[in-house]
Amino acid sequence: MEPIRHYADQEVSEQVKVEPQKKTKVRKRRSWIAGLLLLVPILLFIFGFFVVPMLYILYLSFISTDKLNGTDAVYSLQNYITLFTDSYYLSSMWLTVKISLYSVLVSLILGYPIALTMAKSSPKVRGYITLLIASPLLVSIVVRNFGWYLLLLPNGTINQVLMNLGLINKPLNLLFSELGVVIGLSNAYLPFMVLAIVTSLYNIDPSLEKAGAILGASPLRSFFSITLPLSLPGIVSGCVLVFSLSMSAYVTPSLMGGANVPMMPVVVYDQINNLLKWTFGSALSYVLLIITLLSVFVFTRAFEKSKFREVFR
Amino acid sequence: MKILGKFRTILAVLGIIYILIPLVVVVPASFTSANYPSFPPKGFSLQWYTMILERSEFIEAFYNSLQFAFLAAFFAVLFGTLGALAIAKYDIPGKNYITSILTAPLSVPQLVLGIALLIYFTPMMLAGTSTGFLIAHTIICIPYVIRLVLTGLSGFDYNLEKAAAILGANPLIVFWKVTLPLIRPAMISGGLFAFLTSFDNVTISLFMISPDMRTLPIEIFSTMQDAYNPIVASVSSVVIFISVILIVVLEKIHGVGKVFGGTQH
Repeated sequence: MEPIRHYADQEVSEQVKVEPQKKTKVRKRRSWIAGLLLLVPILLFIFGFFVVPMLYILYLSFISTDKLNGTDAVYSLQNYITLFTDSYYLSSMWLTVKISLYSVLVSLILGYPIALTMAKSSPKVRGYITLLIASPLLVSIVVRNFGWYLLLLPNGTINQVLMNLGLINKPLNLLFSELGVVIGLSNAYLPFMVLAIVTSLYNIDPSLEKAGAILGASPLRSFFSITLPLSLPGIVSGCVLVFSLSMSAYVTPSLMGGANVPMMPVVVYDQINNLLKWTFGSALSYVLLIITLLSVFVFTRAFEKSKFREVFR
Repeated sequence: MKILGKFRTILAVLGIIYILIPLVVVVPASFTSANYPSFPPKGFSLQWYTMILERSEFIEAFYNSLQFAFLAAFFAVLFGTLGALAIAKYDIPGKNYITSILTAPLSVPQLVLGIALLIYFTPMMLAGTSTGFLIAHTIICIPYVIRLVLTGLSGFDYNLEKAAAILGANPLIVFWKVTLPLIRPAMISGGLFAFLTSFDNVTISLFMISPDMRTLPIEIFSTMQDAYNPIVASVSSVVIFISVILIVVLEKIHGVGKVFGGTQH
């Protein structure tokens, strides 16, 4: 039966070959135009208010004078040279990278057990945990920082408790310090770390752990030789995510660190809004953008090329 | 095995407490009767809530926030849904590139985008205007709507549209009676998410505000920078209440975790 039907189909299609194909071609092109029409508003919007402004400040970053009235614009790399030779900006960049790395570390250490617990619990419990950890992301960062104020101030909760216990006799400087910023950032981005890791934990075949147990591996051994290596893609994407978010965060460093912790975003904001150095500020923001994107790219690439990749392919 | 499992659970509980604690302490602190906010609160009073009513800048800022968040969500859903429909339904060349461009505002730090828009808006006389503010907020909300609606459309059965068309419905009726009801949940959660994103935003708003046009998070931000005032606790509590209500609605429709599950910057 099969071949005959096939034959018949072919015959029919050969007979009316020319016309229908033309028709479908026309119809496809028409629908494509209809689709494009739907896209016009959003594309115009994104180009007009995202792509063009981003290109415009890239252009400005190559102008070395701050007189933007056109006539005496001098094009040079001066802004970028200043950035990479002035010790103030260099140390600010280093500080930003350092604090971002700390915040990655804290969120990884606190986040992994949460992700692991989620992966091992029932869908219902998992749902509750997801709601608990993801909801704070939808409450303004200012409010979350204010909560830390209450806890970390010299007369705040943590200092009070420590002093009442007699562990310290003078309040610790928790707020307006690098520690304060690390706490604020890791707290804000920890949920992203958990969600990234848990996605990769869900993908692990449960029979692998069973097989390990049958072959005599202790739970600890099976964690280190099975679960942890297989969850590495999630760890990597979580770390990259938290790192890039920490690098470019402005609100938390400015509220929890203030002038004591001049991270790059705080410095850039100052240049733009207080000193009105727009061309230099543009260069600074592009450096911030490029460091962030580059670190994501390099980290992801390095991971892809490492031996771990073979495990997942 | 049991000991390890317990150890893991304890660590996880500590981690969850760490995430929630800054929010948990704010609400009790707002009921303090002292002149400074503290946790645990000293005494009980509603004075900081009545203080909100006396300080008109907070009421005005709250009203502004509501208005902008509503409009930004509206435009983001309008443009985003049309865009997502076009991407999902039609064979547009370079589809993947278009999707990347539409979601790109998420990968650029808000600080950088805020600077770019401020500098770009100034000669256009849009800096510090409500139009400029609205445009900036719509830009950062669009990627979320695109993602949510695209996810909503991924399981869409186009045969339903065909069936309606065969039965004689014109394209407008097909859209109104078939397509729209099916993608409505995705549009609503996209809209709620956009609303919260805009309502809570600080970084991009900092570049778009003017002295006579501020939003609630900005007002809290600047009050915190100037003085350590208990009014921040009561205003923050109000923000938390509003967010919690919207989060519960969002969770019922879509699942809060799912929204962030697809959020890879």
